[in-house]
Amino acid sequence: MANDGSSGANYQKSPQTGFLSRHVFNTNHKTIGLNYLWLALFSVFLGMAMSLLMRIHLAWPDLHLPLLSSLGYSPDRFAALTTLHGSLMVFLVLTAAPQAGFGNYFLPLQIGAREMAFPTLNLLAFWATVASLLGLTTTFLIPPRPAITLWIVSVAIFCAASLLNALNFSVTTIDLRAPGMTLPRLPLTVWAWFINAILSALIFSILLAACVCLLSDRLLSTHFFPLLNFIANQPPGIIANAVPIVWQRLFWFFAQAEVYVAMLPSFGLITHLVSTFSRRPVWKERLVVLALCAVGLFGFCVWGQHMFSSGMNPFSPLVFSLLASSLGLPATILLISWFGTLWNARVQLNTAMLFALGFISLFLSGGLSGIFLARHDLAAAAVSDDFVTGHFHLVMGVAATFAILGALFFWFPKMFGRRLNETLGKIHFWLTFAGVYCVFMPMHWLGLISHSRILSGSGLASLTAAGSAMHSFITVAILLTVFAQGLFLINFLWSIFHGEKVLDCNPWRATTLEWSVPSPPPAGDFGPADPVVYRGAYEFGVPDVAEDFVPQHIAPEQVVKAKGSPVRKIISGK
Amino acid sequence: MPGTTAFPDEEIIIEDIGGGGGGPPPPPGGGDDGDGGGDDRNRRRKWTPSPKRYSTAITIGIVSILMFFMALASAFIVLRRGSDLWVTVQLPRILWANTCVLLASSFTLESARQRLFQADASGFRKFWLLTTALGFLFVAGQLVAWRQLVAQGVYIASNQASSFFYIFTGAHAVHLLGGVGALLFVGFGKFQKTKISLPAAAEITSYYWHFMDGLWIFLLALLYLGK
Repeated sequence: MANDGSSGANYQKSPQTGFLSRHVFNTNHKTIGLNYLWLALFSVFLGMAMSLLMRIHLAWPDLHLPLLSSLGYSPDRFAALTTLHGSLMVFLVLTAAPQAGFGNYFLPLQIGAREMAFPTLNLLAFWATVASLLGLTTTFLIPPRPAITLWIVSVAIFCAASLLNALNFSVTTIDLRAPGMTLPRLPLTVWAWFINAILSALIFSILLAACVCLLSDRLLSTHFFPLLNFIANQPPGIIANAVPIVWQRLFWFFAQAEVYVAMLPSFGLITHLVSTFSRRPVWKERLVVLALCAVGLFGFCVWGQHMFSSGMNPFSPLVFSLLASSLGLPATILLISWFGTLWNARVQLNTAMLFALGFISLFLSGGLSGIFLARHDLAAAAVSDDFVTGHFHLVMGVAATFAILGALFFWFPKMFGRRLNETLGKIHFWLTFAGVYCVFMPMHWLGLISHSRILSGSGLASLTAAGSAMHSFITVAILLTVFAQGLFLINFLWSIFHGEKVLDCNPWRATTLEWSVPSPPPAGDFGPADPVVYRGAYEFGVPDVAEDFVPQHIAPEQVVKAKGSPVRKIISGK
Repeated sequence: MPGTTAFPDEEIIIEDIGGGGGGPPPPPGGGDDGDGGGDDRNRRRKWTPSPKRYSTAITIGIVSILMFFMALASAFIVLRRGSDLWVTVQLPRILWANTCVLLASSFTLESARQRLFQADASGFRKFWLLTTALGFLFVAGQLVAWRQLVAQGVYIASNQASSFFYIFTGAHAVHLLGGVGALLFVGFGKFQKTKISLPAAAEITSYYWHFMDGLWIFLLALLYLGK
């Protein structure tokens, strides 16, 4: 090792030297991917703590928590909590973890590249993301006016970072694939990351432009986002609740597509996990790719779904309602493919697979309430109710988190060379699974109850009582669910250092390229020889071979028909 | 099969480093360190990512920047159509001169690239530096346009039309300065040490520059017709 320092000076940055170059200025895609995951872990616990505070405020408004009462209980504070909870979870967890985190680590490995296309840009994007996290968190501690400006700046920085990431991901997928890795042979995870990158490259520009205009409105007193003009001509009392509709349009154009930015990588991950642990090829693989493309495409066309009650052209809700409902088509194709893959399969029910199945369950139940919301007549009345909160938390928040957790259990042996504890993982899964249903299902009811408050009559009092009992129930459920996450944290931190060691480089008997290299992958990822790909990503259940699968990098003449693992054979250089 | 030809090479290298690289997998946590610096050097020198990546990147970058300006343009159109009290901004005359400068720079850029194809290094350099100078001239011209508007008392916060004028020209100028940076890099950079070759760098710079040119025409048309 001693001579490495001197001889290593003439190629890139020597990874051995010091803390700074190993963690801060390391352009290696695996380090950056892991750093994103750490960032997401920090943000998710911060965001959960905030949701806990909010629920406690809602259920027991008189309760004063010892340390936190100094932060104050004003409505401003509550609004700040909601904003910060949302921005942390959506940007730093749901956008950063599945795409930037797992994507950075595994996209090059899965396509047979040794690095991302632009490593320095990648590093820059990571530190911009860190800066945006710091900015977002600081907003909670300073007075509202500068806080809002800081929030906008932080979001703009996050947009810039996401654009760099999107650029890097799409170029890497287009130009850096290994020989033989044709588009039909791409794993569906890569397809999802790729489509997502293209989508991100388009929508984050929109939010960036909106943020620039908003900042200019705040700092240079311009008027990009005035009140609705026809309302502006009305007497002043009516204007109070008017909304700047141009901002709404730009924001929702971004935000509705952002939902799919969070969901697309999850779809890819889940399809991958379901196929691997059912030991069967993805059912109708091409159709799944088309469905992923369709999700990306439709994501552009449904922004008006959030603006039914904002005074838009009376005909447009009908159009948006139709478009939003048509999103059910690709979603159904994905669901049918998952069920088709699972049909009659000998499913391996480990924790990763449990999380994948949990995702399907949550996606289905959350998606069903989405069909209600796509109806313009219902949504116009029930918008911003608990019904919506319950819907998008189930389908976007929790389902995507399940996909992240499933991916973590799946890839942990590759990233750290150790396994997460399965027993602890399963307990954590069942507690979380039951917990999130107990939290978000009653919210749908709450939404419907508050919707029916417009009915006059004697039933109102009993409804109110039922509503407050439900609020308490939700708060208790969320307390338990958050504490169950402690199990995961313990499992995660303990397993990194003391988990069961994985000596086999392919413990799950999976087919994609990352499982052909040692765990954790060495610098340069692949051995001295560049990987070559000979087949599709999901050759499970193949007859006449020694095991029931053939990895992508095995040449047809090398497929082992007798005993012995083909994977080991190739690694040892034949 | 595209990969089969690559196999003989690889076999040789396996023999080459077999002694050092055959050890057990590296310990957990130290994944990026690897267990032999020598191996890393071999690998990294051998693996060079496809040079096509630069032109792919500039294409996606251009689409992304286009979306940024489309967001601004759609806001402009929506606000313009919905407003009864729109105050127009008289476009400064110098904008037309600036437009000619920018169009001319696209022609000089193409001439420079033609010289490069003909291996005429000094001709290339001359035209390339002319392009860079025209780029600076355009930005200076835009600044003059701003000064003229300010002299008339039209500021960014005066009315919606002026806000859009300043934000369109400002955002375009910032993006164009990025292009000027690229021009300077190609004009004065030492291409022995960089990963990208001179013709490739000149090519992607030209894509971006022509895009900036077209974008300016679009924005000018929008501002002119939106009066």
